[in-house]
Amino acid sequence: MASVLTVPAVRGAPNVTLLWWGGGTFAGSLLLPWHRPGRDIFAFVPGTTGLALAPSSPVMVAVLVAGLATVLLALLPRPDASRGRLAIVVAGIGSILATGYLVAAGRPLSAGPVVAILGFMSILGTGLALSGVLRVDAFLGGCILWVSVFVLAFILYPLWTVLQASVFVKGRLTLAVVVDTLTSPGFLLINNPGTPRNETAIVLWFGGFVAVLAFAMLLRRGIRRAVVVGLEAGVVGGILAALYLGYGALRNSVLLAVVVGTCATAIGFAFALLAERSQLRTRRLLGPFSILPIITPPFVLGLAMIYMFGRRGFVTYGLFGLSTGIFFGPIGVAVAQILAFAPIAYLVLEGIVQALDAALEEAAETLGASPWYVLRTVIWPLARPGLANAFLLVAIESLADFGNPIILGGGKGFLATEVFYAIIGRFNPNEAAVYGVVLLVMTLSIFLIQRYWLGRRSYVTVTGKPSGARSRALPKPLDYVVTGVFVFWALLTLSLYGSVFMGSVVKLWGFDYSFTLAHLRSLSPQGWNVFWTTTKLSAYAAVPSTLLGFLIGYLVTRTQFPGRSALEFSSMLSFAVPGTVMGIGYILAFNQGTLLLTGTSVILILAFVFRNMPVGIRSGVAAIHQIDRSLEEASTMLRANSALTLRRIVMPLVRPALLSGLVFSFVRAMTAVSQVIFLISPQHNLATTQILSYVEYGSHGRGAALASLLTVFMILVIMALYAVNRRLDMRAAREASIS
Amino acid sequence: MRRMLLLVLAVIVASLGVVTAAPAGKVTVLCSPNLAWCDAVKAEFPKATGLAFEYVRLSSGEALARLRAERQNPSFDVWFGGTGDPHIVASEEGLTEFVQLKAWNDLRPELREAVGRKYIPLYAGILGWAVNEKLLKEKGLPVPQTWTDLADPRYKGLVAYPNPNTSGTGYTMIATIVQIYGEAQAFDLLKRIHRNVAQYTRSGAAPGELTGRGEVAIGVTFIHDAVDQVLKGFPITYNAARNGTGYEIGGLSLVKATPNRQNALAFMEWALTPAAQSLAGSQGQSYQIPSNSKTPVPSVAPRFQDFKVIKYDFAKYGSVDIRDGLVRRWTREVETLPK
Repeated sequence: MASVLTVPAVRGAPNVTLLWWGGGTFAGSLLLPWHRPGRDIFAFVPGTTGLALAPSSPVMVAVLVAGLATVLLALLPRPDASRGRLAIVVAGIGSILATGYLVAAGRPLSAGPVVAILGFMSILGTGLALSGVLRVDAFLGGCILWVSVFVLAFILYPLWTVLQASVFVKGRLTLAVVVDTLTSPGFLLINNPGTPRNETAIVLWFGGFVAVLAFAMLLRRGIRRAVVVGLEAGVVGGILAALYLGYGALRNSVLLAVVVGTCATAIGFAFALLAERSQLRTRRLLGPFSILPIITPPFVLGLAMIYMFGRRGFVTYGLFGLSTGIFFGPIGVAVAQILAFAPIAYLVLEGIVQALDAALEEAAETLGASPWYVLRTVIWPLARPGLANAFLLVAIESLADFGNPIILGGGKGFLATEVFYAIIGRFNPNEAAVYGVVLLVMTLSIFLIQRYWLGRRSYVTVTGKPSGARSRALPKPLDYVVTGVFVFWALLTLSLYGSVFMGSVVKLWGFDYSFTLAHLRSLSPQGWNVFWTTTKLSAYAAVPSTLLGFLIGYLVTRTQFPGRSALEFSSMLSFAVPGTVMGIGYILAFNQGTLLLTGTSVILILAFVFRNMPVGIRSGVAAIHQIDRSLEEASTMLRANSALTLRRIVMPLVRPALLSGLVFSFVRAMTAVSQVIFLISPQHNLATTQILSYVEYGSHGRGAALASLLTVFMILVIMALYAVNRRLDMRAAREASIS
Repeated sequence: MRRMLLLVLAVIVASLGVVTAAPAGKVTVLCSPNLAWCDAVKAEFPKATGLAFEYVRLSSGEALARLRAERQNPSFDVWFGGTGDPHIVASEEGLTEFVQLKAWNDLRPELREAVGRKYIPLYAGILGWAVNEKLLKEKGLPVPQTWTDLADPRYKGLVAYPNPNTSGTGYTMIATIVQIYGEAQAFDLLKRIHRNVAQYTRSGAAPGELTGRGEVAIGVTFIHDAVDQVLKGFPITYNAARNGTGYEIGGLSLVKATPNRQNALAFMEWALTPAAQSLAGSQGQSYQIPSNSKTPVPSVAPRFQDFKVIKYDFAKYGSVDIRDGLVRRWTREVETLPK
């Protein structure tokens, strides 16, 4: 591969790539400003160009010299390998000095250093390619380094600051905040001082009892197995008892994540069966209904829950005359989240159910297995990875969501809301960081439990060999029951969204249902401005997010370089960690000094880009896998470099995937909350956080109006996508957007 | 394809230009009163001065947190409205500064004396509660008369008050109870009230809204916010504890490190004029007592002589240690208590 990629050059001829990048880096660092005043991102301060700074700063001189040296290097006749090695040295020194200069200066950076550092990265990449250290060409070498710089700066560094802030308080290493936060009753309280019994003891006794019971039951099958399973059962029993009896944010969040994860996965699986195997027409409705909660912010359902099931709700009070606060609290939050996140589980599981080979089930039946036995021994093992994956995704979404807990939680603490109050209410970043670390650890443990549960078995059913069996129908009674569940779910979703639309045009929900346009009118001017800002920033973010994602997808599927899987892992990280954690990371990392970005539009765009980039990676990887490598090789044979190959061969072939990646990056940015709520500023407010604050400050009507506007707009965007690109594989796109 | 890309790029660059083209003069404000008042100021201030007005609505506790977060690089020029205690904290921490404005001598002397040159008084409002008597009647319960009544187990799930972490109103309530009962007894009372609380809200006006909508029967809030609910047609009445209630002196402060001092001062001068202050009642749905004695008091505004208002010690309960200490104690001992 490498021998094909390195374009043979005439020995000693000037290297055009190095010439351009060297000249660009030099000119950029010389003429562009290195600093800016405060938050004014686009300000041009003539006094801070490299030219102006050089006389007083030897480091700046060295940076400029490194740029010039590259130009010389490109012109001097030298063999590629030694030119490459020299370029590595020059660019290495240049980038280290430029970074060092910025850190030492501690002032907000401007365009100059961005150009300088990325320029040196390109030179370094070219050097690595020329010298043969990396087996790629100059373009891809540069790409790898650029992407690494981005991932380091905007994913790993913010996460690192979260870890750091949890143990570094005012410059001192201390565990005080960790201990203080974790021992606070708001975090976890098992023994309720208000009751005479000792709950901690009950939990321990129960755990011990379950352990002994499991041990005794399994003793016949061998002592070792009995001990292991007994311990596991004891721990699980103890945790369940603690969840049942305990209090505090940790218990609430875990319980919520477990309940929502389980219910949403079950519903998602039922719907997936329905979509693939139902005989009834209603299955066609699954598509539109499953996409609706994905393209709207989850807390819209929370708002609707108040409208329909609150103490003065349309259903609870209006129809049944009940005055109950039961849905005002964890139950309401759970219902809203299940409705919002079941579609995610459905989209993951749809593919799994589709891939189930009916021939296996027929074979089992022919051998005399009962339907129940088939389910247990054929379908269940095959669906397990999908179920685990769906559970993981839903649980993470539930942990990160704080719109619903804050609207409906009735003052109960959840981890996400605690983070919110620590930052927004008390500005105690250390405490927020501790909660962030807890969320990280929990995400990681769900992931590990999933791995442990799945083990290392192979679940391959798609072998490429044609399967003889046609898709199997669900048994009639089951079909009717599951369809009934779906119809109920669809009606519920429809009425909830309907209530939000209604809420935006009636005077006062619950009292005065007369028609008014006052709420919609009151959106002017602020609501409209916010909506426009959101649309604009999301659109700006969608393009780099998709392109960057696609590029990473290409790099990890088509090239070999050291650190490739680390790059893939870290770029997916921003997606796997709860948005709240990334939000704290951004506010901690970009609030002062060189990287000051808070309060600007740029930080919102960056947050969107790196949060949604994995959407692009997933759809990119999936699309690229379908392209035969020989096409690219043919292009390379005809002496196209990889940039040209990417643009002329690969990009046109994956255009549908790119387009849907683009749209879903946009949609996700428009509906994001958890991460960006910490990053908004007066000039750059977002629709989701605005709806949330309207609702919290009591202007439900206005909140509903803006939420309706957002929902309608999202539906239009998705319909436009369908219209523009009919051939598009929507399912693949949607899956990419969530998994 | 290439032409399309160029077009898209051109549009993006052009609109970026629009984004960065800031108006000639503007003032960026942390706005803590209710949205309607902030919107009214946004509409009227540019007409009066030609300066643009940008704001973020944050409750006073949140506004203080925001100022602390942006200590080194403030993005706000002025903090407009909100309860006084966090204004005093901000002033003590050097986040804001007191400035002598032209209208200083027109301000009501009792308000000037109470805050002691820590910030500029903007209005005064009395703490009380909104009551949904219909809901209480359905449950056969009497209207509460004192703070202790709120702890009556019969009100379980029917009380809301603001979270002092985010809301200045919430802190005013806690400080009031502490001043009436003494700290130990006050926290004992708060713990008992906790068992009745359906929700701790993020903002100070929200309990009134919840009461209006019938989500709860009693919402602790400033009475002028309850008046707003009544005028909007919600079926509620308002009241205050017979054994004494607290009050707020809403504040106006200059953010110390702002680079935009000139415009900030222009805004503050304007905000104290009778014309600007009467916006609160006429368009802002806010019925406090305005601080400028020349501003007409809205006819519906709750008056101090009608309630038993305690002598609220602003200097003490606005000090950093006392405020942060009480909020922290409440968060650890009350909010997290199992119900």
